[in-house]
Amino acid sequence: MKFNAQLMWFLAAFYALASGGYIVWYANSNRGAFEPIGSAAIAMLSIMAAFLAFYLQMTQKRQGPVPEDRLDALVEDGDFEAGYFAPWSWWPLFMGLFASVCFAALAIGWWMFFIGFPLALVALIGFVLERSRGQNAH
Amino acid sequence: MATATKSAPSASMQKKSKGRIVVDWLTTTDHKKIGYLYLITSFIYFLIGGVMALIIRAQLAAPGLDIVQTKEQYNQLFTMHGTIMLLMFATPLFAAFANILMPVQIGAPDVAFPRLNAIAYWFYFFGSFIAVAGFFTPQGAASFGWFAYAPLSNTTFSPGLGGDLWVFGLALSGFGTIMGGVNFITTILTMRAPGMTMFRMPIFTWNTLVTSILVIMCFPPLAAALFALGADRRFGAHIFDPENGGPMLWQHLFWFFGHPEVYILALPFFGIVSEIFPVFSRKPIFGYKTLVFATIAIAALSMTVWAHHMYVTGGVLLPFFAFTTMLIAVPTGVKVFNWIGTMWKGSITFETPMLYSLGFLTTFIFGGLTGVILASPTLDFHLSDSYFVVAHFHYVVFGTVVFAMFAGIYFWYPKMTGKMLNERLGKIQFWLLFLGFHATFLIQHWLGVIGMPRRYATYLPEDGFAWMNLVSTLGSALLGISIIPFLWNIYITAKRGVKTNLNDPWGYGRSLEWATESPFPRHNFTSMPRVRSESPAFDLNHPEHAAPEAKTEKKKG
Repeated sequence: MKFNAQLMWFLAAFYALASGGYIVWYANSNRGAFEPIGSAAIAMLSIMAAFLAFYLQMTQKRQGPVPEDRLDALVEDGDFEAGYFAPWSWWPLFMGLFASVCFAALAIGWWMFFIGFPLALVALIGFVLERSRGQNAH
Repeated sequence: MATATKSAPSASMQKKSKGRIVVDWLTTTDHKKIGYLYLITSFIYFLIGGVMALIIRAQLAAPGLDIVQTKEQYNQLFTMHGTIMLLMFATPLFAAFANILMPVQIGAPDVAFPRLNAIAYWFYFFGSFIAVAGFFTPQGAASFGWFAYAPLSNTTFSPGLGGDLWVFGLALSGFGTIMGGVNFITTILTMRAPGMTMFRMPIFTWNTLVTSILVIMCFPPLAAALFALGADRRFGAHIFDPENGGPMLWQHLFWFFGHPEVYILALPFFGIVSEIFPVFSRKPIFGYKTLVFATIAIAALSMTVWAHHMYVTGGVLLPFFAFTTMLIAVPTGVKVFNWIGTMWKGSITFETPMLYSLGFLTTFIFGGLTGVILASPTLDFHLSDSYFVVAHFHYVVFGTVVFAMFAGIYFWYPKMTGKMLNERLGKIQFWLLFLGFHATFLIQHWLGVIGMPRRYATYLPEDGFAWMNLVSTLGSALLGISIIPFLWNIYITAKRGVKTNLNDPWGYGRSLEWATESPFPRHNFTSMPRVRSESPAFDLNHPEHAAPEAKTEKKKG
């Protein structure tokens, strides 16, 4: 919907304005000094919002009007196939478990990392390729 | 939308073995089950954090007590109480409600990325466990306060494994939160049912969207800050050394996350009560669009107010942050106005969810008012780091999160399990909780005004804090007791609650979740009503009072 892109453009403009205002105001009351942390943080929000806005706008242009944005759409107007939803999966659990071993390794010691990282890699590959082969391939 | 993957109904009818049930929960990709996992896990953390709070209150009941053996343990308690309540209870509670409800409210069969959703949960689960695992280490858990100010949080002043585990555990669970946020945004933007335009979405879904945008804006800075702190602590980096201006860098980065985080906690719960007020006032929400725009305004502004936590550093631009902070009271006031407008001249009934929503409203307004006081630098210089601040943020956060959580649980329990919770126990619990909460925290405002600082393990009789602290501790005992009727309620409802066969047991439900069975079927809908307004279920169940668009269409046939 047009509004999604507009919302993000609004945020981009707001943060651009806020970072500009912050920089000028700070300089004005601190004899021309520059406060890098806050200025950078707000300015980067503006950039991120602009990214999203641009992407949403392009998608919306390419897609044209969709049933969920029409006021008079019927339930039948939606896509016949809503998408594919994995009925269950072991990989998220393993991914979480082995990623947590890696993170705990950063706190505890590198030896754990050498156990956790290969396992996490296996879990990642399993997660990515799970629905690409075998009986559940789509 | 018509077909999702076909789930075999016969399979779910069979009696399942215990092992099968466990495997089902561990491998689930169903957004509702993941939501229940979030709900259960976060509630357990709520109880753990609550017990810590009771120990803290017991320690402060009278001057000079030694309930905790060392002051270091006291520091660990308040640090982990804050961490648990914010990042392991309240933030995942947002994910819980958003997961359970948001896809149903927009008429989607699941979230956009079901397996990513499961990963997000497990990241939270294991990350939180790592962060609290410090309690099992010899030196104990992190003890530098939940905002981990540099240089206190470095290895010179806070040595020990507990702090390292805290840093990396939170980083992991933060990634889970970011994934959840991305998932919710994608779902809302791409998976709405036909006719469910953005401005027909329920307010709760709107708030989920805006909250998720906040998540992706403010959790990455936290991850960056935590990794930098981890590098300092573990790998000898010097990012937050005082010589490099590290303390200010940490405070900026932390509060750049920390303040929006408060709104991540607040907005979804505003959404919950925005769903509840219309149902029990039997009126549509007053000023739908202003509510949406107020939410957006709060979110936008909330990213520009962070340094009001840093007034006393003397290194921030006071007028800028005072201005933006006070400005945020305007959209919040708009929301309060809308909620009152919704109730105005409605035929209100006081079922438990409504009671909790009203409890939220009164409590939150108190917290909002003291927030305006603290936003003013001159007043803040006096009150900063005193119990006034403690009282303020408990009013805001407990008022929104806990009151709205119970409102939401009582309200949607029939949708989640098919059974209504006991009303009488719910009301008993509400009054215990309400009185207990206000007894605990109202008096802390005055404690702060006469100068009791936060985070001190004890105080002297001559300070004159004794009777107020005793009142607060007694209140906290009442607050603790109030959880018992709730757990009892859950138990007896599971044991001998009556199944409701109604799609809409409250009678005036508005959004799409009240148009499907209780409990939800696997992919949420077996049939879906036409969406012609922001309350499709109400249009379906009460055609004579339906929205004008729905009515005219019916006439045309």
